Amino acid sequence: MLTPGFKLFFGMFAAFTAAALVYGYASGGSHVGPISLGWKGGVGDHIGYGVLVSLAAASLAVSLVLVAFRDADSEAQAALSGADGISPNPAVASGFWPVAAAFGAGTAAVGLVLHPLVFGLGLVMVVLALVEWTMDAWADRATGDPAANRELRNRVMAPVEIPIVGALAVGVVVLAASRILIAVSALWAVVVAGVVSTLILAGAFVYATRPGQARKLIAGLGVVAALGLVVGGVLAAVTGERDFPHHEDEIHSESGAEESGAGDGGG
Amino acid sequence: MTMTDSAPVAVTEAAAGPEPAGAARWVTTNDCRIVGRAFMAVSLVLGVGAAAVGVLTRVERLDPSAPDQILGGLNSWFQMWTLYRAAFVLLVVLPLFLGLAMAVVPGKLGADNLAFPRAAQASFWAWLIGSLIVVVSVFAGGGWGAMDGVTAAERDAMTLTLLGAGLVIVALLSGAVNLATTVISLRPAGMSLLQVPLFAWSMLVSAVVWLFTLPVAAANIVVVYADLRGRDPVAFGLPESPGIWGQLDWLVEQPAVYALAVPVLGIAGEIVPDRLGIRLDRRGAAASIIGLFGLLAVGGWSQDYFTAPADHRDELLYVGVGVAAVVVVLAFCGALADAARRGSVRLQEMPSSALAGSALAVVLLAGATFFGALRVIKPFELLERSTTTGVFNAVVAAALIGTAAGVWHWWPEILSRPPSESRGRLAVLLLLAGGVLLAASDVIAGFLGAGDRPFVGDYDSGAVGGLNAVAVAGSVLLVLGLIAAAAAVFETMRPDRPDGPGAGDAAAAGLLRGAGS
Repeated sequence: MLTPGFKLFFGMFAAFTAAALVYGYASGGSHVGPISLGWKGGVGDHIGYGVLVSLAAASLAVSLVLVAFRDADSEAQAALSGADGISPNPAVASGFWPVAAAFGAGTAAVGLVLHPLVFGLGLVMVVLALVEWTMDAWADRATGDPAANRELRNRVMAPVEIPIVGALAVGVVVLAASRILIAVSALWAVVVAGVVSTLILAGAFVYATRPGQARKLIAGLGVVAALGLVVGGVLAAVTGERDFPHHEDEIHSESGAEESGAGDGGG
Repeated sequence: MTMTDSAPVAVTEAAAGPEPAGAARWVTTNDCRIVGRAFMAVSLVLGVGAAAVGVLTRVERLDPSAPDQILGGLNSWFQMWTLYRAAFVLLVVLPLFLGLAMAVVPGKLGADNLAFPRAAQASFWAWLIGSLIVVVSVFAGGGWGAMDGVTAAERDAMTLTLLGAGLVIVALLSGAVNLATTVISLRPAGMSLLQVPLFAWSMLVSAVVWLFTLPVAAANIVVVYADLRGRDPVAFGLPESPGIWGQLDWLVEQPAVYALAVPVLGIAGEIVPDRLGIRLDRRGAAASIIGLFGLLAVGGWSQDYFTAPADHRDELLYVGVGVAAVVVVLAFCGALADAARRGSVRLQEMPSSALAGSALAVVLLAGATFFGALRVIKPFELLERSTTTGVFNAVVAAALIGTAAGVWHWWPEILSRPPSESRGRLAVLLLLAGGVLLAASDVIAGFLGAGDRPFVGDYDSGAVGGLNAVAVAGSVLLVLGLIAAAAAVFETMRPDRPDGPGAGDAAAAGLLRGAGS
């Protein structure tokens, strides 16, 4: 019996495989190159082809795990949780993914006029929102118990969401903080880094000692800090970097002058 | 990862997670009633803004010598002139009906929610974002064309307006498909489509008409966008008039303009018999009339931009559709008059805002179709005259009045408390007076030779100048009517405090109303 989770991820495997083949041939792959993973010929654009093949392999692996251990199987889940099976007219859980899809579409529209990067960001938002939306819709109809459905959905998506969100968060923090630190003077960069580190340490200390009471306070401060970091990063990026002494350029130009001088002399 | 390792009691209430509250609930919810209310609330605000834009353009037209005293130039005037029309179609009337239907129709069919609740949520937010893009880009120098040349920045802003309008259209289409699917698939077993409540039926017809209409407009936008973003606009994307607006003006002309008012027939077809305490005689015939009116409102075929110098509007089909529309609406008026005759109408009593509003909306729509029929008759030469705007204004006013009647009638599905009846009557009266003054002044001015395009034709002669003043009064009344309706709706949209003085009033009034009907 094929589980719903297997069907979903195996479908994704098929879609990614087809996309990889199309992309491979469209970007200059030879006759059997994209089919043989490059063993008998070129695959076209290596990066795009590689990403798509990797996604296909990951989807295939997840689908096999799901069918082997009967994970994300709605009937098994319903039996374990004592639910009454699948409701014919299930309640639809609330969520913000449709809103995210709408914002993504709006961002893409604005990006068509402003900048291709903004357009790409909008498209990425739309695709991510649609994937999450699909999973939510699937989970809504998995069993007759909303709590079991949410659990089921989290079992499938949390292993994907948490690393992606974590990577995005780290990327945003690193990018924004680096923009700020290279925009202010060298002295202020040290001060900012010290103060922020101290604040993080103090917040973690408070949270560790009083986890229950300080939770809302820490959450609020975290939101404020994240917004401040992002806004500060954007402002710093707009302002630009401070003046750095360009030692390497000078060395290169000096050595270039010497070389050209030597060349002239030799000629 | 395997769930077989988990204890069977692992699924708890905590796993389901708490439902968000407050503003987060408004953002994340897909409850059809809340989404419908959100559609209506934002549409009302945008409606007040669009009507205010109409006042400015009317006041500007009072002084023919200087089209730049208030709005700052011919281009700005044209931007506002087109914004008024496009906004009432895409940002006000269609979403108002969509919101009303989302809040009311599932309950009428015995369903808990729409067929695709998340799609409804997405359609509202996409529509909201698209609307904001449209409004901001127009005020940034964009719009649907210009009359006096454009800069590169203005061209970018125009592109943004087109993209925003495209997003709005996609969102409205998504909502329309959602509603149509709800009516078709969530109606009770054994209920045929012709047996569904007339408002639900009219929304199904409207959704189909919009599905035949709005994609054509989207295609026009794509053509214009592709040409406008090219190196040199060739033909379709010429920003100067009539390049862009010339491809979209069919949306506010016959027969497509009637697509704005199809639900009015459904609203009146339900409210009038309900308020009179009778059943509509020959209900199947009434449903057929609504379907026929919807068929006559399909209008993408009538655009003349691509067929110039040949003009579809000179053909018999165009004239026949225009004349048939008035016959169909008059037939529906006859059905309502028959209901009034059989019901208990007492002329000495003040009718409720719902009853008066729904009936007057149909009468105003009949007037619009009558003048629309005159417009398409060749000897009158009214196709390019201000009669076009007159018909548009009458249809829009009928739609607004019909929506107000629907809100006042079905308030338990939409509001937290019953709205004030006196404010309802005031709103209907103001909207009716504004719509009649606007429509009449434009129609008569058209007969006197006033052009429909800005500052084209005989728009400043003595008689037409006087009619312009009447139109200013009408547009002001329209703004006041929308403000009155919005104030009454917003006041009663907020939920009661559990221990507040109004607690329980809504339920009690609902019970009383149920007993009365």
